Amino acid sequence: MKGTEVSKKREDRIGQAPKNFLGLSSRGEEVMAYWTFVLPGFLIYLFVMAFPTFFAAFLSLTNYRGGALFGPKSVIWGNIAPERKMKIIGFDYYAQMFHDKYFWLALKNNMWIVFISVFGQIPLGFIMAYLIFRGMIKGKDFFQTVIYLPCVISTVVIGRLWGAFTAPNGALPDLIRLFKPGYVAGNSTHPMIPVLFVILWMYTGTYLIIFLANLQKIDTSVIEAAKIDGATEMQALRYIILPALSGVIVTSAILAISGSLKSFDLIYVMTSGGPAKQTYVLSIFMYDSAFKGAPNYPLANAVSMVMCIISFTMIGITKAVEKKFGGRE
Amino acid sequence: MSTKIKDTNSVGSKIFKAITYVILILFALLAILPILWLIMSSFKTSQEYQLDRLGLPKGIFYKNYIEAWKRGNFGVYIINSVVYTSITTIAICILGMMSGFAFAKIPNKATKGIYASYVVGILMTLQSIMIPLFIIINQVKLYDTKLGVLIPYIGIGLPMGVYLCTEFIRSVPNALVESARIDGAPYGRIFFGIIVPMSAPVATTLAILTVSGTWNEFMLINMLTSSTKNKSLPVGIQSFAGSLSTDYGKLFASLTIGLLPMLIFYLVFRKEITKGVAAGAVKG
Repeated sequence: MKGTEVSKKREDRIGQAPKNFLGLSSRGEEVMAYWTFVLPGFLIYLFVMAFPTFFAAFLSLTNYRGGALFGPKSVIWGNIAPERKMKIIGFDYYAQMFHDKYFWLALKNNMWIVFISVFGQIPLGFIMAYLIFRGMIKGKDFFQTVIYLPCVISTVVIGRLWGAFTAPNGALPDLIRLFKPGYVAGNSTHPMIPVLFVILWMYTGTYLIIFLANLQKIDTSVIEAAKIDGATEMQALRYIILPALSGVIVTSAILAISGSLKSFDLIYVMTSGGPAKQTYVLSIFMYDSAFKGAPNYPLANAVSMVMCIISFTMIGITKAVEKKFGGRE
Repeated sequence: MSTKIKDTNSVGSKIFKAITYVILILFALLAILPILWLIMSSFKTSQEYQLDRLGLPKGIFYKNYIEAWKRGNFGVYIINSVVYTSITTIAICILGMMSGFAFAKIPNKATKGIYASYVVGILMTLQSIMIPLFIIINQVKLYDTKLGVLIPYIGIGLPMGVYLCTEFIRSVPNALVESARIDGAPYGRIFFGIIVPMSAPVATTLAILTVSGTWNEFMLINMLTSSTKNKSLPVGIQSFAGSLSTDYGKLFASLTIGLLPMLIFYLVFRKEITKGVAAGAVKG
């Protein structure tokens, strides 16, 4: 009874309102409210993420090597000697970057990280998830928790821990000596190997969780029915499980590829790009250009632009693949 | 006939199960042994470690912790980390819910563009803009200040927060908002009275993800701060560890101090964290 009264009241009010049922004044209020809710966050976001991207594009074309950009002493419009002013010089620093052999070494090491992610982390993560899913074992939660554990610990702790463990006077040579007496630890000929191993160790758990979550969406009765009809485990894997996961596998591969650009913390802590820049990746190359010795900001910004372009390309591919496979849930 | 198949199946599945356990236990050990080795080594004196780097400690040499705590300023770093993490988390939850409410429930032509730009922000590689961001923070005189760390942290975490909140608030029935509007409630009251209480589940997920991301962040804060009073725990550990040459006992003790807060947080919220990881990947 009371309910119908209320709804009747509402109908009356709607009846009174002009075409736009909230009326003109509340349309203005609506716009005001919208921007009040959206702007504070959006301005911070623009300042922190969007502006630096365009700013890097601009600075990479100049010879800016430090100094005030704003205020009376600005290197752009300030009242200072003309030779100290910033100039737009075009693509000189891109040329310098492309002629730097360490840029190519860094890019190559980034590719190694892509390789270990796509052909190491994803298959291993998949195998573990598959075993947990199909084995129907006890302690699923335990295995998932333990294997994902390295991923939640600070990279500084991880990097220092493995740095101490794999050092020539660390525990790893001792461990090797247990199996191969007389082993002498020298400088490794492949300094990226320990780094790649730690990356594999640290992030494989992520893919275990992703794959397990998606495997659990598969209807197991379909697999059981196929088994009763005489399908082998491999056939079930080939014709039921893998097709159901194809979207996730592709998305994970793209995530892994773009994620390889993110490797900074671990390498910075473990090797700082050494020995002799052999473990450089793009982000460390950029960091060193900006902070080691005389700051070379234009070069750092040129590297930054290369990374942005790779990153945006990957985003575009992700979106295209999502559309094709319907990966979004 | 059918029983025979069942028999071979069950034998096969028993072997399969056994192999599964062996493989998974191996991987679990591989994941956890290095961490146990670290904790174990933190109870050895430096001399003891250099003589026996793999064995169990002879006794519990807890002095490593006392010395590391005294010399490493860890008290300050932990308080700083708590400040950075809590302010960032609260700000992202509030701003995320505000934007999510506007995007989901207040019609506006700008929504499509702004929302799309946030989605790009989720996928963007932060490392690619670290140097320009450093230059900008320097230029606006926020270098080595807490605000100069907090603003980037909020801006970086916001895309994910806006995405999660918008998707969640979209599922709140429109009728709730509309009827409140018809009763003359201003948007502010709808936000605090209806949206915030109803968004508690998504805010919890968002808070847990933001805490674990912010607490461990190293790259930016390492670049943006230089004094002890502004460094966070990871940066503090990195600089303390750098000052020790062969003082392994203190090194391992300080690393264990750095390990514990996240370890406890993870063990308490592991269900929510793994759920977030799985959802994050599907979202792409």
